[in-house]
Amino acid sequence: MPALRSFRIGGLRDDELAKSAKEHGLALRVDELRRIADRLGRDPSIVEVHAFDAQWSEHCSYKSSRHLLRKLPTDGPTVMQGPAEDAGILHLGEWKGDRYGVVIAHESHNHPSQVVPFEGAATGVGGIVRDVLCMGAEIIAIADPLRFGRVEDPESHQRYVAQGAVDGVGAYGNAIGVPNIAGDVYFDERFDDNCLVNVVALGLVKESEIIHSAAPANSVGWDIVLVGKATDTSGFGGAAFSSVTLDEADEDANKGAVQVPDPFLKNVIVRASYRAFEYLREHGITAGFKDLGAGGIMGCSAELCSSGGFGAIVDLDDVNTALENMPPEVIAIGETQERLCWIVPPDVTPQILRIYNEEFSLPQIARGACAVVIGAVQKQMHYVLRAGDEIVMDVPIDFLTGSIRDPLAVNEPPAQAAVDPRERFVEEELDPSEVFAQVLGHRDVCSRAPLFKQYDAVVRGTTVIPRGGADAGVIAPVHGSPLAVALSVAGNPRYGKLDARRAAAMSVVESARKVAAVGARPLGLTDCLNFGNPQNPAHYTELVVAIDGLAEASVALGTPFVSGNVSLYNEAKNGNAIPASPIVACVGGLQNVASVVTMPLKRVGTILYYIGEAQNAIGGSVLAEVLGVNAAPLPQLDLLRARMEIETLLGAAGEGLILSAHAVSNGGVLTAVAEMTFATLRRTAIGVQLDDPCVWTQGQIGDLEALFGESGGFVVEVADQERFEKFCEDFPFVHEIGMTIDQPVIAVDEDAFDIRALHEAWAEPLTEVYV
Amino acid sequence: MSARLAVLVFPGTNSEEETLRLARDVGIDAHIVHWSRAQTLGAYDAYVLPGGFAHEDRIRAGAVAAHDAMMDAVIDGAQRGKLVLGICNGAQIALEAGLVPGTGPVRKPTAAFTRNGPVPKFVCKHVYVKLAIEPKRCAITAGLPQDALIPAWAAHGEGRLAASDEHLREITAGGHLAFVYAHADGTVDASATPNGSAMGCAGLVNAAGNVLAIMPHPERDAWNFNHLDRREDGDVLAPSGGAALFRSFAEALR
Repeated sequence: MPALRSFRIGGLRDDELAKSAKEHGLALRVDELRRIADRLGRDPSIVEVHAFDAQWSEHCSYKSSRHLLRKLPTDGPTVMQGPAEDAGILHLGEWKGDRYGVVIAHESHNHPSQVVPFEGAATGVGGIVRDVLCMGAEIIAIADPLRFGRVEDPESHQRYVAQGAVDGVGAYGNAIGVPNIAGDVYFDERFDDNCLVNVVALGLVKESEIIHSAAPANSVGWDIVLVGKATDTSGFGGAAFSSVTLDEADEDANKGAVQVPDPFLKNVIVRASYRAFEYLREHGITAGFKDLGAGGIMGCSAELCSSGGFGAIVDLDDVNTALENMPPEVIAIGETQERLCWIVPPDVTPQILRIYNEEFSLPQIARGACAVVIGAVQKQMHYVLRAGDEIVMDVPIDFLTGSIRDPLAVNEPPAQAAVDPRERFVEEELDPSEVFAQVLGHRDVCSRAPLFKQYDAVVRGTTVIPRGGADAGVIAPVHGSPLAVALSVAGNPRYGKLDARRAAAMSVVESARKVAAVGARPLGLTDCLNFGNPQNPAHYTELVVAIDGLAEASVALGTPFVSGNVSLYNEAKNGNAIPASPIVACVGGLQNVASVVTMPLKRVGTILYYIGEAQNAIGGSVLAEVLGVNAAPLPQLDLLRARMEIETLLGAAGEGLILSAHAVSNGGVLTAVAEMTFATLRRTAIGVQLDDPCVWTQGQIGDLEALFGESGGFVVEVADQERFEKFCEDFPFVHEIGMTIDQPVIAVDEDAFDIRALHEAWAEPLTEVYV
Repeated sequence: MSARLAVLVFPGTNSEEETLRLARDVGIDAHIVHWSRAQTLGAYDAYVLPGGFAHEDRIRAGAVAAHDAMMDAVIDGAQRGKLVLGICNGAQIALEAGLVPGTGPVRKPTAAFTRNGPVPKFVCKHVYVKLAIEPKRCAITAGLPQDALIPAWAAHGEGRLAASDEHLREITAGGHLAFVYAHADGTVDASATPNGSAMGCAGLVNAAGNVLAIMPHPERDAWNFNHLDRREDGDVLAPSGGAALFRSFAEALR
């Protein structure tokens, strides 16, 4: 079998083997290496050992999380396709006889973004849109949950990362022409050495036109077609240069060989792929389609074929490469961007090649870019790679791509202490006027506009609510139909520091709330679980309990998870991990875009209600940081009530009773009210007269906690008080809190705050970081 | 047989679909034409250059695209009186091709839509543009009322009109300043301009009035549901102000 350059395992002591693996830049452990040699009955070739190193990495195999993720509910009436492939699909609705699905995928690009923020974030967007595209979908929106370190120092690397990552997300999304409609950003010292750049992408596909990431039935002998950028030496995990020698002449090219995003090429590849979809539909051809990510050509083609129950044989000499004499393992496993892979019948191949190479002239768009046949599907369940006249890889394909699991230690999960909502943690009785401006100017509350104004939120012409216009972005992606899609993200690191499980549950609830706040029904969820080193029991335990929290909340709300991603080893130099960061995105559906609810207050003389229950537990809140209260726990999370709050809002909105709404999160009820007034400033300012909080908390809750605590729920504006209260009569947690007035002030009891002054405190802070 | 409109797609264009959609909704016989089909362009009666990043905006937005083979047909058509509308990147291309203001030789621009100011960054902002010429001065705007106010989305990194004082004088003297940025109530002042553009310029027209270039996107404010200042009542699927320019375009093509 593979004659040359094998990786010696047999006859080596464990310490020798570990040393050799390190020298070859392999992450595989000694026991894993021996398992490979045992199964193959020989030492693996260099190419094979690197292939297993990629396929058995956390990124590809989810070896420390897959068994945990099974706890998440993934089925329900809204699910068109669960988490089996690169992205999940939710049922949006029907129009002219077609069932429309919303494709959703969620990914992180954390480590690259910490090193090269612009390229790292841009390639993150590039990767996630490929995941959506390869389901046969049109890419309709993106979102970007971001977590950065302390950015106060203009000279700091953290500031550089926070600016570069945002520029990268904008540059890539704008160029490919996908609106950025949602996202959030938090700043915390525990992200100083480990930023998080998560990206979410949405697609639109008719159920009858979904394309799967698997070799279709009876596809033995079909062509494996590689599409996109010429394969270079980028993204070969350092191994490329430590274990092989490239030609002297290529040295410069090698130096520049970092993962390089090319949104310009991607723009063309996306449009060419839409054309390919059209061709396949017109001719009733079923094909397989998948994007290239970790594991490169090898990982993608192996997964495509094995999930179809086949093997594959790929000839590396046929791959379009950017350099001469690249070692076979680099061609096979390197992670060059902007590539996709088709499995098509040989008689269709010429048409696919023509679309990419001639109609969309890839070779003229970027040097070496093209669509080319690199191999074929084979019956024998083996994955075979040829290079020159030798076979450099030949392994059982299910052994290569099959699921593996790491045995990891878990600590005793922390007890979930019940919290008495009346127990107070605020000693000093401050007046709201002493904290209001501080809360609005807090780094987690202040306006994000300086950041997202450089994202194109309206390309495609489908935008209903752009970024910043409400708790969720809304688009109407099916031309001529009233169907609309809402998208939100949530994941509060201040909560993650205190209680990973409840923080995870709160991420689910908050993301669903944000979607409901625009009048959309939550259809489903996706998650990106950003955690520390799983080899560290404390960090791994956080992941375990967080997944429990996600499962608990999504079951309670009836919103399943249809896709997700796990990003581990987010660890600082000093060994400290990032705060537990289970980031959740929620897709909502509106059957009629006319019923969309927006955030700006609409009229004078209307009534404001708080749908929710204030608590004294202010742990993790912005208020707690402003007051320096450290001992408080997170508020109690009553999942059943959270669901009833959402149903109450959606029901009332369905009756046309809600003029405007805003979910209560960072900064609490008064911040939500303030943001509803700020949004009126572009027209005639509408103010608010709030009742004394003790009126709507029956004196059970302190004023500061009632006004700034983060107990969830919604603030809504209602015109028809009688009908609304009749509608809510069975719901005890709906409280009248004030009314709208024609002066530009927010009056709380006898304090009156000028809206423009408050707006300035809220709008300013980030303008220094994002000019 | 009604006039046929080509919506050009250069490598890097990204707004062709919504542009095509609106053109068809107002009754124009519109078709997308990709760069690989450049030789078919001569057969069309009018052209739209949509938004995007044609040829990656290398050198300067529109500079490379202006020399794309597709522009040979557009320039030739424009010189023979065919209607040409450039939106955002399309406006930049029309300017780099010398079609607007058209006071210099072809492909020798006398001005540029260049890097935004004072902040040199991409800006996405809802704006209004006000017709600054007699409607009939330009065939594409002939169907609009005097001082028409059109809602649109500015979404560009290079939308600031810059030119020498002499060329700016040419633009005003020749009546080439077609649109200026305005507030929702129609008032015009510097604070309405999102990108530092000279004279608050949002659009330019050539001398013959058959080529119009506009920086913000009216096609992204085409239906009430994507109009930011939409009224509470009213049909959200009905056309909004942005569609008005395309309706006027459609009348011109009848």
